[in-house]
Amino acid sequence: MRAPARRPLARTGLGPIGTVLLTLVCLLMLLPVIWTVLSVTKPTSVAFVNPPVLTYSPTLEVFADLWQSTYFYRYLLNTFVVAVVSTLVALVLGIPAAYALSRFPGWVSIALLLLALVFRSLPRFAIVLPMYDISRSLGIYDTRFVLAMALVAINQPFTIWLLRNFFAAIPRELDEAAMLDGCRRHQILTRIMVPLLGPGILTAAIFVFFFAFQEYLTAVVLTNTEAGTVPVFVATQLGQTLPMLQQAGAAAVLLTLPVMLFAFVAQRYLVAGLSSGSVRG
Amino acid sequence: MRRREFYGLVGPSVAVMVGLLVVPLYLTVKWSFQEVDYGSPGQFVGLDNYAQAFTDPRFGRALVFTAGLTVVVTAVLLGAGYVLAAAVNRLGRMRPVVLGILLISYVIPNVVGATMFSWLFDQNFGGVVNLAFSWLTGEEVLWYVETWPNRIMVALNVIWSMLPFATLILLAGLQGVPRDVLEAAQLDGAGPIRTHWSIIVPSIRGVIGFVGLISIMDILRVFDNLVPLSPQAVQLGNESVMLYIFNIAFRDGGQDLGLGSALSVLTIVVILVMLYPFLRDVVREARQA
Repeated sequence: MRAPARRPLARTGLGPIGTVLLTLVCLLMLLPVIWTVLSVTKPTSVAFVNPPVLTYSPTLEVFADLWQSTYFYRYLLNTFVVAVVSTLVALVLGIPAAYALSRFPGWVSIALLLLALVFRSLPRFAIVLPMYDISRSLGIYDTRFVLAMALVAINQPFTIWLLRNFFAAIPRELDEAAMLDGCRRHQILTRIMVPLLGPGILTAAIFVFFFAFQEYLTAVVLTNTEAGTVPVFVATQLGQTLPMLQQAGAAAVLLTLPVMLFAFVAQRYLVAGLSSGSVRG
Repeated sequence: MRRREFYGLVGPSVAVMVGLLVVPLYLTVKWSFQEVDYGSPGQFVGLDNYAQAFTDPRFGRALVFTAGLTVVVTAVLLGAGYVLAAAVNRLGRMRPVVLGILLISYVIPNVVGATMFSWLFDQNFGGVVNLAFSWLTGEEVLWYVETWPNRIMVALNVIWSMLPFATLILLAGLQGVPRDVLEAAQLDGAGPIRTHWSIIVPSIRGVIGFVGLISIMDILRVFDNLVPLSPQAVQLGNESVMLYIFNIAFRDGGQDLGLGSALSVLTIVVILVMLYPFLRDVVREARQA
């Protein structure tokens, strides 16, 4: 961690030019969001005209429209149900596995971790197209269940790696002491490790949730109209009519604002997860 | 930990991965040797699909496009990510705010981010970037129907969505550089650029390599971004390998599932080759631990 007392070394602060440039970069990163917010608060007739209208009386009509004339609420509900369920299942499966992998010395552990790394990097279609075929023949195509399970499996290698790195940082002496006190293995896991690893587990949960909620490719292949998620909804609204386009913008904003807020609030966990060096599905 | 306990703990997770990752992967490999359609058993055709993949000019174009995008975007990500990380590293109170803003494009779903991005460039919709560009250069660029402008727009979007990741990992690397090393450099009279180039960059080359590897693997698999940004990808020659597989093996009923599977297998081979040094390191570290 940064120690404020040692600051004086390299002059902190960026100087005027650096500050201007960094502000510019931040604005550019935000520009797509700002522009979309402008587009969806305009009346539909001027939302997408060239040149753009910059003075207008803001309206939230398109949000009402989105709610009433599309099935957006269904897509939104699907997104959250699938993300929550797949996160919970991923953790229930992943926590014991990651703990075991961090404690068991044999070659089996190394082999499993390597395989997890390989599976994490596979091109999605190699997994998802067969899943499509199987889910159709089992009659579970276009259900939240199949999408959630697919995402659990696809994100499981990442979940295990991230958690395993967190577990590996906890000294084994703790396990041994608990064993001497008569704790069984599963008790060590549930009573000592899980509470101790609270922030780590939260970090993993946040990432798995994000991956599930961001996923487009898997959702577009495994779902249709019943279990589709918001990214699928946004994509299908494109290239249609202008009102539909504005609805897509409204959907994007409704999805983005809470997530932006979350990025600020949960920043610590996101940075911790990213820094632990094993991130990305 | 006893062997029995180990298998008990990893069992459920491994079972799910075998059922939902290994079995599908096996099907893809099998299909790559077959003439096959969804829902019906395939017919073995040997290496026909692979032969077709290598002689298909559309696949060649997709490969060149994807490789070019990967090289350019990875280079920009490493350079810009490093500069940005160094800048954020010098911030005091504003740091959480800047990090929060930088995280935004990372947490927005790719396809949604690309949709918002597409409106900045769309000349029909009064896109602000397009307007600024034509005002500055006096030229009207057709971002969606000309090959190169479209490529530039796609590249910018991929950079936009991946820059936060590169910056944050590099920032973590910068924070790990020991202070006495920097102090020594300062005492020796090294300027800021010299210090970065000859001292900091070499000492975090592992982190830089990691960012490079993840970026390369992610951009090789680029798909979501092209859906809103390049509706005419096929005509423009801006189809990525993943989009090509999607188009021939899924869209319109998946008439070329065999060929698509062969392309997936070829992609896996490429990824394994690139992963090899990384995998070797993992084994070495695990042995030492």
